[in-house]
Amino acid sequence: MATLGGLERSVMSLLWDSAESLSANDVRDRLGEDLAVTTVLTVLSRLERKEMVRRERSTRPHRYSATASREEHTVEMLNEVLGTAGDREAVLARFIGTIPDSEAAALRRLLQN
Amino acid sequence: MTLLAACLAALALMLAIPVPRLLREAEFRSRSPWAAMLLWQAIALAGGVSMVSAPMVYGLGPFGDSVPAAASKVLGLMATADFAALTDLGVHPGHIFALCLSVLLGGHLLLTLLLTYVRVLGQRRRHRDVVRLLSTPVDGNRAAVLGRHLNLSAELGDAHVLEHEAPLAYCLPGRTHAGSVTVLSRGLLNQLSAAELGAVVAHEKTHLQQRHHFLTMAFEAWYRALPWLPTTRHGRAAVTELTEMLADDGALRAHTRQDLLRALALSSAGPDHQDVLREGTQTVAESLAPAEAETARGPEPGPDAESTSGDDAESRLITTARLRRLLAPPAPLSRPALGGVIGSAAALVLVPAAALLLGA
Repeated sequence: MATLGGLERSVMSLLWDSAESLSANDVRDRLGEDLAVTTVLTVLSRLERKEMVRRERSTRPHRYSATASREEHTVEMLNEVLGTAGDREAVLARFIGTIPDSEAAALRRLLQN
Repeated sequence: MTLLAACLAALALMLAIPVPRLLREAEFRSRSPWAAMLLWQAIALAGGVSMVSAPMVYGLGPFGDSVPAAASKVLGLMATADFAALTDLGVHPGHIFALCLSVLLGGHLLLTLLLTYVRVLGQRRRHRDVVRLLSTPVDGNRAAVLGRHLNLSAELGDAHVLEHEAPLAYCLPGRTHAGSVTVLSRGLLNQLSAAELGAVVAHEKTHLQQRHHFLTMAFEAWYRALPWLPTTRHGRAAVTELTEMLADDGALRAHTRQDLLRALALSSAGPDHQDVLREGTQTVAESLAPAEAETARGPEPGPDAESTSGDDAESRLITTARLRRLLAPPAPLSRPALGGVIGSAAALVLVPAAALLLGA
């Protein structure tokens, strides 16, 4: 997990699985990798910019938590993919979804015979 | 100038209402989707230009004999604030109104295009960020991510796998080709055979390679700018359909029709249907090519297997053009017909432009 993207994924996964908010030190300790705290802070601030992570500024050191659960993000994404989130047609090119259900069913019966 | 304005208005009206309605259902789109795509793009461009320039040319009428000369005259009069000249030229308030209308309409169309572009880009970036965090890149650990599809790792190297049981495949265009992401769900990997999955990935790659997101962008913007015009909806739906046909054709260059159709049927299916289909045998060829079916037909797999007339009934139920052309591939357009389509597209773009620059 040397890449920044890989680190972001690991940190996000940690925050999703954690019941409480974590400080940068907590994150580093739980990652179990030989990382500088500054690296972890960089990753956390990138995630904050992507609005994936919320920072609690009232405490010292700052504590971080996920803005939404893994499931909520998945649902948000799937809604975009399936076009159920309003006008999203131009955002994605889809393999499915352009076929009406009734026709897909007929196709399945046809392929089955 | 009045005649030119009338011609442009007539063209704008034609391209706004009857032409998209006819083209939406035109049978030739299944035969040569790229030609239909070319025509749609030309219609969007020519429709926008004629809609904006018709009132402009009318409004410029009293100011000169050609569009460029009249336009520079107007700009000159505006700079000097010469009101007396307006009376001398016989300018009616209607002319001023038409010029304002043209500027507003043109600004509205361009601004909507720009806003749509920015908005779509933002949504894509957001989606890409979330995908990268939620899914597993195939590249990281091929064996663990792909499981039984490890032999496809060359094709799937830059794909992301989303842990979700719904069978999904889609692509997210990035700013550069390398920044694009193909997303496959765990459900899809579980449902499809390696050959079917290969067809899906080739379909998605074609979307990205042919930059279909640029082809749909103008129509998305056109729809957002004038949603009350029923034909902008036609245009958007038609172009989306054409990109799917083109991507299917791209997939068919390296994969069989059967694999693509099975992948389509399975990835659109609810879980109960998927089990049924998975138990069936690999005899798609029978329903697709009746001549081969005579030799290929083995024992029927299921107790409720239907007769050939049942197949006909089912295939009549399928009216989606994209599926129809996969089930019974139509011949591509003949050369003269293709020439006609390309010529019309070129004329749509060039004739109004030439008339505006050169004509009187």
